[in-house]
Amino acid sequence: MLFNTIEIVRDNWLLLLIGQYPNGPLGGIAATLILSVLGIVLAFPLAVLVALARLSRWRMLRLPATALVYIVRGVPLLMIIFWVYFLFPLLIGANVPGFATMLCTLVLYEGTFLSEVVRAGIEALPGGQMDAARALGHSYPRAMRFVILPQALYNMLPSMLSQWVSTIKDTTLGYVINVPELTFAANQINNRLLTKPFEVFLILALTYYVVCFSLTQLATFLERGITTRRAGPPMPAQALVVAQ
Amino acid sequence: MIQFKNVSKWYGDYRALTDINAGVNKGEVVVVCGPSGSGKSTLIRTVNRLEEIRSGEVLFDGQSVHAKMRSAELNRLRSRIGFVFQSFNLFPHLSALDNVVLSPWRVNRVGRAEARDRAMALLERVGLAERARSYPAQLSGGQQQRVAIARALAMEPPAMLFDEPTSALDPEMVGEVLAVMRGLANDGMTMMCVTHEMSFARDVADRVWFMDAGRVLETGTPDAFFGAPQHPRAQRFLSDLRSR
Repeated sequence: MLFNTIEIVRDNWLLLLIGQYPNGPLGGIAATLILSVLGIVLAFPLAVLVALARLSRWRMLRLPATALVYIVRGVPLLMIIFWVYFLFPLLIGANVPGFATMLCTLVLYEGTFLSEVVRAGIEALPGGQMDAARALGHSYPRAMRFVILPQALYNMLPSMLSQWVSTIKDTTLGYVINVPELTFAANQINNRLLTKPFEVFLILALTYYVVCFSLTQLATFLERGITTRRAGPPMPAQALVVAQ
Repeated sequence: MIQFKNVSKWYGDYRALTDINAGVNKGEVVVVCGPSGSGKSTLIRTVNRLEEIRSGEVLFDGQSVHAKMRSAELNRLRSRIGFVFQSFNLFPHLSALDNVVLSPWRVNRVGRAEARDRAMALLERVGLAERARSYPAQLSGGQQQRVAIARALAMEPPAMLFDEPTSALDPEMVGEVLAVMRGLANDGMTMMCVTHEMSFARDVADRVWFMDAGRVLETGTPDAFFGAPQHPRAQRFLSDLRSR
């Protein structure tokens, strides 16, 4: 069985890596990574905007943003994929490729979740930071840009990496609308071999695991670095004596 | 320079400030003292409108702080009022130098190089030129507060407000901050200081205001206030301090 698995990888590694490219669309793990990276990169500005709208004192911004967050959080990703897949072409009157459909869905979905991370990051900062910036004469947008967001986003780096991991796992759902990503490639192999589903999906699971586990480790590593940096210098000896 | 006219403030049903009538003249050093919860910090925060008021008027340099005005105008007004916080509120993602540079550069549109030169001169003045590259977490509390004073001075304010600048410091660091404040007072800076440092009040203040339960109960020269307090509440406050 182990031999079978290795053999399957050996015969199909190119398909798993890049799909049918250059004879067809780019697929496999390359498509998965590109989709997830583009998704999270484009979701990020959306997340910041939604978070700022959620924290705004203007109802006109706050209410729609809050509604968006509640709706998207309360609906399975698959539903959103179907909506975008079936409704989007109707709305714009043209066919939308699966990759673009999946990308739009991911940006909306991950952006909304990420916006809650951004909002938490902003709210976690001590209120004195905003006070200090305003007391120095910074406008609210400038205080956000120069004082609040740089700190909040830096503190959020580990959470953003975790969100990227979720995004990678969410790309698998692109399978249902025929986006040629890694799961799609694995299924192609499975359909060809017919009798080796366990081996094929073992390969698939391991591949996802290796990618996601490395990123999670990186997030943990970053988190530790940030905690150390924030703690500042070690306690002076004198303070220790007093503490005892 | 700073005038309070019939200033009152409520937090819900709780009356935080009651009919405050007092003023700080140009070049004068006023120390506001009184028991905790007496409204000292609230009062000083109304001067740059970090706290709103219910009724009355606060004048800064002839301008009504709580009048209806455009936010740009309020920002300009705030940039002319130096404010030093109890908890320093330095921007932890910026070096000491950049903390001082940020606001002249971004708010007052001073050239970056010029802002940097002036910031170095200010750090020199508070005795921290050699720590310019350090981040706040790498500085002691006393050093952080001195950087915060330099940061406020960088906007070249005609008056400085201090909200319990030494209350969050270890005892051995109080002196270095008070020394900087003494230097400012000697240079003729208009200052309003909320503080529990009675030696500072006695040596440096031109006038002392005593507050309790949201009212200014007594104002006078340090000699008069410490020598022969008029109000019974002030007498009790001072005798409590002495018996400590």
